[in-house]
Amino acid sequence: MTALAAYLGFSVLLFGIGLYGLLQRRSLIAMLIALELMLAAVAVNVVVLTTYAGRDPGAGQVMALVLVGVAAAETALGLSLFVAIHRAQATIDVETVSELKG
Amino acid sequence: MNWAGAVFGASAAVALIGALGAVGLKNIFHNILSFALAMLGVAGVFLSLGSDFLAVVFALVYVGAVAIAMVYAVMLSDPLDEPRRPRSRSKVLGAAAFAAVGALAIWLVVYRAHWLSPGGPRRVSAAEIGVRFLQDYVLAFELISVLLLVAMIGAVTIARRVRPPGGRG
Repeated sequence: MTALAAYLGFSVLLFGIGLYGLLQRRSLIAMLIALELMLAAVAVNVVVLTTYAGRDPGAGQVMALVLVGVAAAETALGLSLFVAIHRAQATIDVETVSELKG
Repeated sequence: MNWAGAVFGASAAVALIGALGAVGLKNIFHNILSFALAMLGVAGVFLSLGSDFLAVVFALVYVGAVAIAMVYAVMLSDPLDEPRRPRSRSKVLGAAAFAAVGALAIWLVVYRAHWLSPGGPRRVSAAEIGVRFLQDYVLAFELISVLLLVAMIGAVTIARRVRPPGGRG
């Protein structure tokens, strides 16, 4: 097993764990945590592929840093939305917060 | 086994254990702590790739900022002593099966691709990243700055307690 395959396998495992958590958890904060795990797996993948199999490793690092920024913005907005939802409905359970469901 | 391999093995193990705890444990506070552990592991993986600046950024942003913000959100919203309703077994199994199938599909695509490989990893210094951000990728840099500003203002606006008009704030 090459080093590249080991890194890619780690990234796929992290992504799979995040996907499972996103589907299985009911608390919105836990789902956000799972989403962050998936984003981290994507960042690892970008950096690994540009480092091992690309011509420009610097571009991959820039891309990963942009990903971190987007993830931070998403977390800030998501958490503030959860606080607002909790204030309006007294719960952040996704099976209870279904007011917009058709 | 060289140093990079040893660092990668240890960090990957820490990251995967942390990730399993972050989705598997019942207590949301334990989830957040495991998430911080997983992100430390991911930072170690970046360290083993020779991208030390990215490792520091991950540790700072995720462990230092995101995890703390999540703890605040838990304190403000999710009561820890809320009674837990049992989850139906079929839903858990379905989620696990879907995640396993998805990961397997990604792995097959990734494993069968023929990647170019012009040699081993090359170290990218923090100075090079800074130069790239201010020359080739200055648009991405400015966009991410504006995005973060808008997200912060939006977060404050959304989470602010709405008071009746005319009331004293």
